[in-house]
Amino acid sequence: MNLALAEFSRLAARRFVLLMTMLLVAAFGVTAATTVAGSHEPTTAEWERAEQEVRFAEARIEQLRQDCERRQVSPTFCDAYVEREPRIEDYLFGVFVFSQEITDLVYFMIAFLALFAFLVAASFVGAELTSGGMTNLLLWRPQRVTVLGTKLGTVLAAVLALSAVASVLYIGAFYAIAEVTGVPGDLDGEFWRDLVLSVTRGLGLVLFAAAIGFGAATLGRHTAAALGLIATYAIVWEVGARIVFEVVELGRPDQYMLTSYIGAWMAGEVSFYDRFACTDSFGSLCQSQYEVTWVHAGAVFAILLAAIVGGAFATFRHRDLA
Amino acid sequence: MVWPMTAVIQIEGLRKTFRTFRGGARVALNGFDMTVEAGQVHGFLGPNGSGKTTTLRTLLGLVRADDGHMSILGQRAPEALPAVAPRVGAIVESPQFFGNFTGRRTLQLLARAGGVPAERVDAVLAQVGLRDRAGERVKAYSLGMKQRLAVASALLKQPELLILDEPANGLDPAGIREMRDLMRELSAAGITVLVSSHILAEIQLICDHVTIISRGQRVATGPVAAVLSGFDKGEYRVRVGDLDRAAGVLTTAGLPVTRNDDHLVVADVADSAWISEQLGQRGMWVTELTPITPDLESVFLQLTAAAPGPSVPRQVDDVVQPGPIDLGVQP
Repeated sequence: MNLALAEFSRLAARRFVLLMTMLLVAAFGVTAATTVAGSHEPTTAEWERAEQEVRFAEARIEQLRQDCERRQVSPTFCDAYVEREPRIEDYLFGVFVFSQEITDLVYFMIAFLALFAFLVAASFVGAELTSGGMTNLLLWRPQRVTVLGTKLGTVLAAVLALSAVASVLYIGAFYAIAEVTGVPGDLDGEFWRDLVLSVTRGLGLVLFAAAIGFGAATLGRHTAAALGLIATYAIVWEVGARIVFEVVELGRPDQYMLTSYIGAWMAGEVSFYDRFACTDSFGSLCQSQYEVTWVHAGAVFAILLAAIVGGAFATFRHRDLA
Repeated sequence: MVWPMTAVIQIEGLRKTFRTFRGGARVALNGFDMTVEAGQVHGFLGPNGSGKTTTLRTLLGLVRADDGHMSILGQRAPEALPAVAPRVGAIVESPQFFGNFTGRRTLQLLARAGGVPAERVDAVLAQVGLRDRAGERVKAYSLGMKQRLAVASALLKQPELLILDEPANGLDPAGIREMRDLMRELSAAGITVLVSSHILAEIQLICDHVTIISRGQRVATGPVAAVLSGFDKGEYRVRVGDLDRAAGVLTTAGLPVTRNDDHLVVADVADSAWISEQLGQRGMWVTELTPITPDLESVFLQLTAAAPGPSVPRQVDDVVQPGPIDLGVQP
């Protein structure tokens, strides 16, 4: 516990962490300011026009359904028309609608938090390995796995706590913006359940990013090793390999890309189109679409964590330290 | 293996080769042996790249040995290091501290990590002369102040064994003297000190025992006086009016004589009075007759062959390959 508290003090006092936190706050601030600038409280006239549009839309849908039911024997087909009732916020333009936009904003927040976590975790161990701080610590606590594990645990706990607080403040800020200069929208139980699930998955992704950054910097003995790993992966695999897969006409290339799994993790499931799946069959009988789910994503994340973080601990146990 | 009961540090047959990804290899330690007994202030000398820091790092578990046996405070290293670490204070080369922390905060965090009472922090800060600067950030410290902070961190645990790698690095003359006094105080308090340094005069003043390493092997070890006496050639500096005539007399008597500009150096002298007598009988009056005793620097340079040549710059690996040197002072 003493070691963890000492590590937390070191983490909190790092100038890089303070700088990254300020950048994070600035990014969120700019997002909120842009939203405020692009939104206004709907006037009575706008509100009445939107209500009128809703009534028109409802009448149009009802007419379409009746036409449908006259021609179709299957009522479920016609129910598709009424799956989503027209809402008043659909017809308010230049108005921030919390219920419609917060999910995308949360994805934006998670992307920033994941980048923050990756860089902070990588520099936390990378700088210590480069400067000799780790050596100094090991002279006091010559238990390598304990020291490295405490460092990882500390940075994960700190990143999780900061991300959780940031998420609450971020969502709360946009809710306040909607109340003051926009529209909260339809906030039923399902909405909040989905939002909490998105944030929870996002926090999982943030922890994953932190652990990968920490592991890569430990393996490479330097913060730059983690940055190099990400840059190399993005250029060589996400861009280069994708082009190669395209050239050799490899089926389902998206299932080999980490970004696909990140998307699946956040959304719960993503669908991809396999353009080579139905070349030899009759279209209606062939399924050219395939899904990647959050379960697949979890498995891929676990394998990557085992390889990079596990590898970092395994090599650190026996490595000569400068 | 049974270690001597009083051996605080025992190293036998230590080997370490650093290998590179390209297949290169550099032998850092080649069967190195060292014994440090309880209560000693033991100097550890060697040219750059001879294996001093590798030895200390290996002993402290930072580098893995390829072969050999080590023990600290009677327990096998590095396996038992977690158990003995609270009793060992160490600094290896110039330790890096977090620049944004004050000196006091730095030590408080180390004390917390090591389970040391917080009261020790101010005590060691005063001990190394940093009490009045403890509230300043480490990044504002001079190299010498950082070195003092490093020593303070090593003293924090009230160690039984203190391992100091170049503790005088960056210290001004007053700081070097304070460091010397501090080590004497620690030794008087019963703490065993192993200190590596390039300041040979300091080692000679501070240490009672010394081990010299070259190319990863021990070339000499023992009490400082015994190591020095092994190189005492019985030489005397002789000043006399007629140097050429005096040289002829002494050479005829069978003594090796080296003529310098204003004096002679006479070796293998068993009795200095004999020189006065021989020269006096021939009407040459000796104005100086001084024994030339070897100092640690000359012994070190002789043992490691690290003395610079007259015109060719010496390369770091231009040191002696240890052979079977018998100084009669091996433990």
